Amino acid sequence: MSLADRPGHEVAAEVRRGSLKAVEVVEAAFKRIEQVDGRRPALGAEPQPDDQQFIHAFLLADRQRALAAAAAIDQKVAAGEDPGPLAGLPLAVKDIFCVRGTPSTAASRILANFVAPYSATPVERLEAAGAVVIGKVNLDEFTFGSSNESTAFLPPPGNPWRPTHVPGGSSGGSAAAVAAGESALSLATDTAGSIRQPAAFCGVVGLKPTYGRVSRYGLIAFASSLDCPGPAARNVTDVALALQAMAGRDPRDATTAAAPVPDYSERLEAGVAGMRIGLSSDYFRIVAPPVGGGEIETRPIDPDIEATIRQAAERLAQAGAVIVEDVPLSNTHLAIPAYFVISRVEAASNLHRYDGVKYGHRTADPVADLHQLYRKSRGEGFGTQVKLRILMGMYVSAEQYEMAYYEKALRVRTLIRRDFEEVFNPAGDYRLDALLTPTTPTTAFPLGAVYGDSVVMQYADALTVPANHAGIPGVSVPAGLSADGLPIGLQLLGADFSEATLLRIGRTWEQISADDAWRSQRPMVLAEVGP
Amino acid sequence: MPNPADGPITAEVFAHLVRLAQFELTEQERDYLRSELNGQLKAIRQLEAMEIGDELPITSHGVPYGPAIRPPIRQDEITGSPLADEILEGAPQVQDRYLVVPDIPHEELK
Amino acid sequence: MNEYEPVIGLETHIQLKTESKIFCGCRADSWFDPPNSNICPVCTGLPGVLPAINERAVEQAMLLALAMSVDELQPVSYFARKNYFYPDLPKGYQISQYDEPLARGGLMVLPLADGASLKVRIAKLHLEEDAGKTVHQTDQRLIDFNRCGVPLVEMVTEPDLRSADEAATYLIRLRQLLRWLDVSDADMERGQLRCDANVSIRPVGSDQLNTKTEIKNVNSIEAVRQAIETEIARQVTVVESGGQVEPWTLDWDEDSGTLRKMRSKETEADYRYFREPDLLPLHIDEAWLARIKQQLPELPLARRARFIEAYGLPAYDAEILTEERSLADFFEATVAAGGHDVKVVSNWLMNDVLRLIREKGVSAGGLQLRPEHLSEILAMLADEQINMTTAKELVERTEESGESPRQVVEREGLGQVSDRDSLVKLARRTLEASPEQVADYRGGKQTLIGWFVGQLMRQTGGKANPQLARQVLEELLAE
Repeated sequence: MSLADRPGHEVAAEVRRGSLKAVEVVEAAFKRIEQVDGRRPALGAEPQPDDQQFIHAFLLADRQRALAAAAAIDQKVAAGEDPGPLAGLPLAVKDIFCVRGTPSTAASRILANFVAPYSATPVERLEAAGAVVIGKVNLDEFTFGSSNESTAFLPPPGNPWRPTHVPGGSSGGSAAAVAAGESALSLATDTAGSIRQPAAFCGVVGLKPTYGRVSRYGLIAFASSLDCPGPAARNVTDVALALQAMAGRDPRDATTAAAPVPDYSERLEAGVAGMRIGLSSDYFRIVAPPVGGGEIETRPIDPDIEATIRQAAERLAQAGAVIVEDVPLSNTHLAIPAYFVISRVEAASNLHRYDGVKYGHRTADPVADLHQLYRKSRGEGFGTQVKLRILMGMYVSAEQYEMAYYEKALRVRTLIRRDFEEVFNPAGDYRLDALLTPTTPTTAFPLGAVYGDSVVMQYADALTVPANHAGIPGVSVPAGLSADGLPIGLQLLGADFSEATLLRIGRTWEQISADDAWRSQRPMVLAEVGP
Repeated sequence: MPNPADGPITAEVFAHLVRLAQFELTEQERDYLRSELNGQLKAIRQLEAMEIGDELPITSHGVPYGPAIRPPIRQDEITGSPLADEILEGAPQVQDRYLVVPDIPHEELK
Repeated sequence: MNEYEPVIGLETHIQLKTESKIFCGCRADSWFDPPNSNICPVCTGLPGVLPAINERAVEQAMLLALAMSVDELQPVSYFARKNYFYPDLPKGYQISQYDEPLARGGLMVLPLADGASLKVRIAKLHLEEDAGKTVHQTDQRLIDFNRCGVPLVEMVTEPDLRSADEAATYLIRLRQLLRWLDVSDADMERGQLRCDANVSIRPVGSDQLNTKTEIKNVNSIEAVRQAIETEIARQVTVVESGGQVEPWTLDWDEDSGTLRKMRSKETEADYRYFREPDLLPLHIDEAWLARIKQQLPELPLARRARFIEAYGLPAYDAEILTEERSLADFFEATVAAGGHDVKVVSNWLMNDVLRLIREKGVSAGGLQLRPEHLSEILAMLADEQINMTTAKELVERTEESGESPRQVVEREGLGQVSDRDSLVKLARRTLEASPEQVADYRGGKQTLIGWFVGQLMRQTGGKANPQLARQVLEELLAE
């Protein structure tokens, strides 16, 4: 098996022992990138006929820098020092994070020329644990989107399982890079499901930690009260190691919690005997307008997906879990409408700073005054989806509408939070250790099928966004393939700071399903690549 | 595609929002954005229509930061930063260490 | 003008005296720094940065709020974003407080010249960050972010002031209080205390609030007074000629002493305030509040009153001695050292010590001369151990050297010559050396006695007891 496809924790252990060189590991990653990634996306690039044979996950793949870092790790090992638990693991960083000395673009023209003078805290911590940054990966512009199609750097990434389909978003590049073996780990962000949904679409593991568990310092902000940095990898153990490196208080982020960081690997293999795992019918349907527009309706999710989740529940029951049916989370259907409002208000404000004055794009046209400078620079620099979010944010936070929209949405958020508090309450009626739900209502849709309809696109996050409102953690793990061969993800949600529990259940599921037929299938792009 | 005129975001309101947002739009973008905005407002109509009183508190952060997990407040210490010059290097136009911008439009003074 | 009464409210921005900025670890004071040298990613609003609130800024704001007798210091308050575009505002929003500020209500009681006192209600008091500076240059603006993120307290009064003089009095007392509490150096010329004035007029007897104008860019208390007076006069003229006062924003031009209508707001007034999601609610618990309450000193006006009552000082003295806290401390410490006439101590402070302070450009607390030293000097003077001249000299010398005056006197033998016999001897010598003047004196020019005393003082190196010297000389001349 190629180094590129092996589980990260095994590879890191060998590098740490000295039986494998970090440089080799990194070379294998770059070889894979060469094989499957195709041409680097660029601003305003025209589509080419063979685009959809490749993944195009990477905006930047810095081989020199990565090899230098890998060599330093090898030297450490040779000197008898410990390079850390992630020693030598290739790390693809979603280009929403500042990494010192790299263009940190947020996949936007407005930051295309911005070279970050500092690195985000999660990046620093992962590097300190031995991970090697191999490059920056593509995303929806400023993380606004659920398909990665709204990036300014084209072509957008394709799903490694079927590159004519989307990888999901906004962390499409992250999930795709990991799924295709281009990287062992990816550092991504989840604001409405942006790690979990692409993880589900691409058949990998994606974790949204509890809000405040991981520092946001260096994360180019979208929605400050919802954004969560988190890891994606091909298996649960790797995700646990990555979380371990990143979690914990950061004095530079005043919203990081002082909660103690447990050992996430300690009880990973302890099984689910006696655990109470809930199923909710509120998560087997979505309340949304149909594709093509119209009135809001209630409709079931993809039956394939529902069946997969229910079967997984049964198998977890056989492994000793207690499945609790019909757990009510009756405010779930309000999560997307509330998100429309809250996230846009914060986003519009967070994007005020992009004005052509201090960094980033400034219009080259002659301007009569400062306002023209703002208008042209922002007009040229922001993509259409970004403008849409800013305008919506302006509207719902304007003084005269603020009470009807923004304040109300913040109260609805309380309802959503209380739904979860009720089911996770150890003294309540349900006393759940976790909720088991589908991650997404559908599998990965074709490129261009939904893009442009911002309402329908947003509803792709209907099952993931409630966790962002409530701040609770959630993880998506691969659960199977649909009838037409696309990955299906199952989601586990838990109480604040219960990541260790969720990862444990996810690991148990991995073990139970280890011999399932679907696990021996590989993404389409790897068909040409040797084992 | 619903008629862009269909909804609370009239052409006038739209123009006001665009002015507030300080960016220029192409004609195409204008039509697309206004229609999407009205579509989104429709989708959140159920939110708008809800009767929610002040007894339900607002939640700014999902996680309630109780005293046990609240981070300590920053002490008043000068840590400084070596990045001043790099920050200036990233600026589009600099003169004698000042950032330069065109003047602000103003009305005739009395 | 008598039919109209001015209605004035003041909005002040106070730069707090912390080491670091309000949301980052950059130095707070950068007055002397080259442009854009005291900056970091946080205060310049780079992508991805986050604010971290400064504990001392909160504490200084709390102290000020307590000194303003606020109705309640909120146990939980929130920061909010005020969103607008302006080149000196790097994030495109200012982190301030809005719906739930640190403190609500409050009062400042001002003594007026005629002995009355004026109550000025405080409408709000909250924390916020300062913006950078822009310099206008032909068709351009030059921007310096050094000042971005300096902690500010914004304090807004109700429109309780009724004249330009009252406004000036408010600012003088506010400045005194800020320095007293050591929460701000409040130097208006350095922008550490900034003031905008809201001015309207109404017929005397009315309680309606009419359209007001806002005056900005006044850089001294005197300028505030002048600008307000000018604006009141202008509004009266407008109203009396049948016109209407428009809600203009006016710019005070220091050089010409005139007001100009400023450009209308560059940005819409809708700031779309919402709670700052990057900061958690600010919790002030009982213990913290108690600690700050303990730090609250006796306030200047209370101390002034106590100086009058407890020490029996005239109001004039009390006013001067309590103008600045370390001077008041100096006075009390000197008195406490014991055995002095309170008025004598006061006089010495108001004259010699204050002069020294002005010369040296420090506060009373910054002098080498300590209250114990002054106490020694006054004791020796009262004992007639030294004369006035020597006493005054000792003040200067102690300031130079920091040495105990008693030690200096002993070592250099500066004690006053009060020994009659020595004085008689020296006086005879003086008279022998000046026969002409003796003749003139005995001939009727009695005013020459001063000259003789002066000569004798010179002979004694200034140490003669002047009263005794004069007596001795008079006796000898009468012979």
